[in-house]
Amino acid sequence: MRATEIVKRPVVTLSGEDVAQVKDVVYAADRGTLAGFTLNGRGLLAGPLKTSLPWSAVHGLGRDAVMIGHHDALVPRDDVLAQADSSGRDVLGSRVLTDDGTDLGTVVDVIIGTGGTTDVVGYEIDSSEALGKGGRKVLIPLPDTLAVSGENLILPAAARDFVTDDLAGFGAAVEEFRKRLHGSSTREASQRREASEQEDRHEVQ
Amino acid sequence: MRFSEAEGRTIVATESADTVGKITGFVVDPGTARVVALRVKKAHGEGDTLPWSDLIAMGADVVTVEKAMSVQVAHGQLLEQGHKRHEIVGKRVLTERGDELGRVRDVDFDPGDGRVRALVTTGEEVDGVRLMGVGSYAVVVRA
Repeated sequence: MRATEIVKRPVVTLSGEDVAQVKDVVYAADRGTLAGFTLNGRGLLAGPLKTSLPWSAVHGLGRDAVMIGHHDALVPRDDVLAQADSSGRDVLGSRVLTDDGTDLGTVVDVIIGTGGTTDVVGYEIDSSEALGKGGRKVLIPLPDTLAVSGENLILPAAARDFVTDDLAGFGAAVEEFRKRLHGSSTREASQRREASEQEDRHEVQ
Repeated sequence: MRFSEAEGRTIVATESADTVGKITGFVVDPGTARVVALRVKKAHGEGDTLPWSDLIAMGADVVTVEKAMSVQVAHGQLLEQGHKRHEIVGKRVLTERGDELGRVRDVDFDPGDGRVRALVTTGEEVDGVRLMGVGSYAVVVRA
């Protein structure tokens, strides 16, 4: 799901009342997760609310609404903004670089996973020439932990291999990418486990 | 039985054999997924709500109650739940995950105990046990 699509979505309680609508998506300081949402009231002339919705209080984030248990899940706006990226800079417009020094493009949207855990799984970027996609917008996956420095975001070079323009299949691309990053460390761990299991078997005999 | 079939049905008091009025709507308690009252247009006198517990039978042709007085003026929880803004037919259906399934076209209920069996929607049919809430914006159901 694209973060820019979440804006204006209604915030609905499990009792079926629409208590607000999403104003802005607030990213946590590490950029890898959401801190929450700022809110506008519902209705034609409604302006910004003094309350915000922290990510921890979100019951469900769907195509048509953001669901909360009860309207008292909303907290004072500053509580959510306090967890945000303190530089105040929106991640949109940031440059994406690989750790081997290639400019991949600039961020135009943030992709939020809708599977088991809902967190930031990738970016949509206006691609640079280096990606060879003719400057089109593409999706690029993020690792579990992200290095952020100033206006630039640094990704492992392997991310280039998982660039796609298919949002429907993007979840799978993210998993493949993260498996690749974890690949060598998990192989070592399972080899160690096998070795110690063999030792145990010999002792029993 | 469906809401659409039962709407407009005549209510008769067995004590007097009088026609009390007719059904204009249904009040659903989402917590128990049951019809807890009927909304009534009364032939004479005050009152617009008939609690399910006062029904003798929800018959195929006519609804029976003992006394006409059983149709009361709604107050408290029945007043809140029976309010027009909580009308279930026509309301959008949202899952607890935030995805819209469609709008409620009709409700299938058990005339014996008032249990909501299913919501008939413009999308998939939703089993009554999935009912979580009925509000002014949406009916919320388990995913």
